[in-house]
Amino acid sequence: MPIQPGISNADVRFGDYKAIGGKLLRVRMTVTADNSPVIQTLRITGDFFMHPEEAIEDLEQLLTGAPLDETALRERVQTFFAGDVQVVGADVSDFVTALLKAV
Amino acid sequence: MAQQEWRLLLTGDMSAFDNMALDEAVLRCVVAGASPSTLRFYGWKPSAVSIGYFQGIEQEVDLDVCREQGVDVIRRLTGGGAVFHEHGSEITYSLAVKDDYPGIPKKVLDSYTLLCGGLVVGFRRLGLDAAFKPINDILVNGKKISGNAQTRRFGGILQHGTLLCDVNLQLMFSLLKVPSEKIRDKLIAGVEERVTSIRREIGMADNDVVIQAMVAGFAEVLDIRLSPGTVSDEELALLERVKEERYANPTWNFKR
Repeated sequence: MPIQPGISNADVRFGDYKAIGGKLLRVRMTVTADNSPVIQTLRITGDFFMHPEEAIEDLEQLLTGAPLDETALRERVQTFFAGDVQVVGADVSDFVTALLKAV
Repeated sequence: MAQQEWRLLLTGDMSAFDNMALDEAVLRCVVAGASPSTLRFYGWKPSAVSIGYFQGIEQEVDLDVCREQGVDVIRRLTGGGAVFHEHGSEITYSLAVKDDYPGIPKKVLDSYTLLCGGLVVGFRRLGLDAAFKPINDILVNGKKISGNAQTRRFGGILQHGTLLCDVNLQLMFSLLKVPSEKIRDKLIAGVEERVTSIRREIGMADNDVVIQAMVAGFAEVLDIRLSPGTVSDEELALLERVKEERYANPTWNFKR
């Protein structure tokens, strides 16, 4: 129910997911308030490993604006994993599951 | 190939900020060719909580309790989980080497296996039945005794980790956030089952003895000789710079 145009009616959501390997993924997102909501801001934290570490910001950026459905999220996470990055302790599905927990 | 000579640094107890800044300074100097490949052992004074690169500081740490207890809090350059470095109860090691060093696997997981293997040999020399547990832990009798974390940057590899000599779970869990207060005692009981220390296993944990065992372990698995050395002036200057830019800087520590 968007009421005031230009003002974000953001809604904060949280999701924690423990990957099979034991690493914890924690998602905090805000979502746009309209009929087809997308991720507005996103922060992924946890005790996993990613090399180079700064790439986490690219992943967060890549997911910003994504619609809240599994296919769209998976596609973007897959694109990220296909790049020049080594993620240790969590795979594509773990990230997607954590994101969906927040959705 | 002739056996490589590495530098052994024993820097004793330092603050969290100096410790993490020195790890980075050494890594940068090793990569630049200004310092030899280095294995370092150190302690933390005052006690500190280090969190992994990707962790949310306020999600993981009770900052008020840390302040009351005089415990510093710092974000590491490496991923992984929160660690309580209690003064006098654990030994931290760090290893810095160029990323094209012969024999160190390009795949992060494989390099943990190799480098943690040095610790496994070290623990066995102390009489502990240690085993590497992927991704980054070492277990004794099925219980965790060491956690390790690695970063690859600037053209080098930095791996550091904690060797538990003693363990004070009550204090540790007062500093770390738990999902709910109701389950705090249950959580501690669970961790009690899953974590051990050198003292608990063999009744002693003399720092020098532990360090010598680990030095021998790394020397064996890496086929290197380790000679005691000192921190260079260049490393000290760099320590001050990265401490200011990063480790003692709230922008860094609170970035997540």
